[in-house]
Amino acid sequence: MTVSLDDLLARRQYSLHQIEKERLLGAELAALTERHRRACAAYARILDTFPPSAEAGKLADVPYLPVSLFKTHHLASVPDEEIFKTMTSSGTTGQAVSRVVLDRETADLQTRALAAIMTTLLGPRRLPMVIVDGRHVVRDREKFNARAAGVLGMASFGRQHFYALDDEMTLDRRGLADFLGRFAGEPILIFGFTFMVWQYLVQQLGPGEADLSNATLIHSGGWKALQAQAVDNATFKRTLLELTGLTRAHNFYGMVEQVGSVFLEGPDGHLHPPNFADVIIRDPATWDEAPVGRTGVIEVVSALPRSYPGHALLTEDLGVVHGIGDPATGWGGKQLEVLGRVPRAELRGCGDTHAGESARTAMPV
Amino acid sequence: MTTVRRLLPEAADADVADLLRELTATRAEAPFRAEAMDFCADFAQRLRREARGLPEAQALAFWLRGAGIRRLAGHFAELGGDGVVLVPRGTALHIPPANVDTIFMYSWLLSTLVGNRNVVRLSDRAGEQALLIVDVLRDLFRAGNHPSVQASTAVVQYGHDRQITDALSAACDLRVVWGGDATITEIRRSPLPPHATELTFPDRFSLAVFRAGSYLALDDARRDRLAQRFYNDAYAFDQLGCSSPRLVVWVGDQATAEYAGADLFDRLAEVTRERDYAVATSTAIAKLAYTRRAAIDWPVGRARSYGSRLTVLPLDRYADVRGEFCGGGVFFQFRVGSLGDLASRIDRRDQTLVQFGFEAAELTGLVRELNGRGIDRVVPVGEALTFHHIWDGHDLLQSFTRRTTIDLTEAHLT
Repeated sequence: MTVSLDDLLARRQYSLHQIEKERLLGAELAALTERHRRACAAYARILDTFPPSAEAGKLADVPYLPVSLFKTHHLASVPDEEIFKTMTSSGTTGQAVSRVVLDRETADLQTRALAAIMTTLLGPRRLPMVIVDGRHVVRDREKFNARAAGVLGMASFGRQHFYALDDEMTLDRRGLADFLGRFAGEPILIFGFTFMVWQYLVQQLGPGEADLSNATLIHSGGWKALQAQAVDNATFKRTLLELTGLTRAHNFYGMVEQVGSVFLEGPDGHLHPPNFADVIIRDPATWDEAPVGRTGVIEVVSALPRSYPGHALLTEDLGVVHGIGDPATGWGGKQLEVLGRVPRAELRGCGDTHAGESARTAMPV
Repeated sequence: MTTVRRLLPEAADADVADLLRELTATRAEAPFRAEAMDFCADFAQRLRREARGLPEAQALAFWLRGAGIRRLAGHFAELGGDGVVLVPRGTALHIPPANVDTIFMYSWLLSTLVGNRNVVRLSDRAGEQALLIVDVLRDLFRAGNHPSVQASTAVVQYGHDRQITDALSAACDLRVVWGGDATITEIRRSPLPPHATELTFPDRFSLAVFRAGSYLALDDARRDRLAQRFYNDAYAFDQLGCSSPRLVVWVGDQATAEYAGADLFDRLAEVTRERDYAVATSTAIAKLAYTRRAAIDWPVGRARSYGSRLTVLPLDRYADVRGEFCGGGVFFQFRVGSLGDLASRIDRRDQTLVQFGFEAAELTGLVRELNGRGIDRVVPVGEALTFHHIWDGHDLLQSFTRRTTIDLTEAHLT
């Protein structure tokens, strides 16, 4: 590992000035480009065909891959015997899934990275934890998927885990009341997927039924399902506050192709990249970087991927950067809003037109 | 009882059995009867007026104009002759692709002109232009001037419904399936009556060949015009039409071919800018992914990229780049020393060869050399998407009819 990645992980997250961050991260990413070019023949072929710009001084100059490439090609920068595990995205049946190979080093980095992010928010101690899901998701290893991986990944930041739902997704009201009674006055952690938190927790609770004023909620999974009910982040938070007194709700954005590099929602309501990752919004007409305030396609960069060439990935999500946070507030870095999946164009032409790529927004892992 | 949404002659749900009974009770008409030809002229007039700004509908209106239909009648007359009478097949079932809005019209109109009864199946995903054309037709039928065309036409719309396709197939004498391969395979699960025939138009691939020296002999203005015509070939239907070229082959020496290729694609990029060709974001992403996959899978040299509108992928060695495609302005480029060198690269899936700079004898020589292995049409730049009654190797005027022969030699009685 390099000095600057250690530095990026060790320093308090969101504390770097953007210029300093781009300098440190830029050096890391340039080194990763060279590492993957040497180690991954497929990646080298892409760079030969699409040579990156000569200066490569800015983060936006780092060559990026479309994230769907991990669905069609095996992209590894380590020999097979060094593959420690292969992560797969959760796709609906029949859709191609991403396959991302991890060596021990990258897997360890991911764990350290996620811990660095979560401890910034939660403090160093594990908190009593409510998981808004059924225990069966992690029990059934046959069906182990990104949802289970997400729950397990987050579970390590809590203790005395209480699974709030039964196998039929019904809220265990008595269990929840007991849990809250037991830890009254203590800080607790709640984790769940955004849609499930809304549907199976918030919508089930009566006013004052559960006091969550000491809780920190971390949730993820995208807003698509809630958009249909006209529930946006502001409504989500306001409703939680009114019903339960919860004030600390943090959404996050991440994907299986860059595990560990999650973007966490700050008090400003925007998603912030950690020190060792960043976001670039690209204009799909030119693929140039879009200015602040302009919607475009989200590219994510991360210094973590060592075993596969995934340090700069163009997602299939739309987003906008609203500005750059002030590190003095504790929430430096770009202020990202994710606007959801790129809408699918109606394809024309003879022949069979297929539905296309899988719908996948920000699956937490 | 199986019902289906009927769009023409009137919009109403109909029982499939009733619909077929009614249709097959109508008698088949004489080929190129006056009423059908008048109908084409009236239809063209309405379409020109009511489909302004819709390029495919306008192209259809142009095809339907009087002179064009009279020329078709001439071709048809030549198919017959002494001792041969062309007669309708009876009932034709047309299954056009969901996403090319006007194919169903050409298929149906040719079949109507030669006197068949027709059932046209539109998919649930039929496009805006298709539905607009259907509306124009409904109005025209309401005017009541073309009763035999109206009586011999049923346009229905349904999704994948095996039961309906079974019923329609069992009642037809001719089934015409316009691709994709998957659709054809699916439709073929519905049996035809023993005497019926089937015409299929599967997935195809198209390419362009330019003689580099001839291209460079053009002045600037002509090169620009050529680029504009080539734009029409490639970018209509977002390069996803079977006849749109995806591969550009240059004939000439390395240096000339490279120079000519760069020049043409620079001009083509300029045309996409002038025409303000808009790439949907999802298509732009698909292109990015497709071209990166191509870089891994095939011997592609350094790409030329012009934003999201145009990407050129030079092949260092020949590779089979047919198959799945993203569309929206991606071209493979390849060089050969002579037109003859192209022959070994052609296969059954290749449909249209757009050409510039070759003599008739060379092109005929290539086609004879291929001897049916591929290429069904050779067209000048700008004509790739122009519909012709000879399509994919079939003369549709012939395929939609039967030949009845009359042998008038005297019987030998001695």
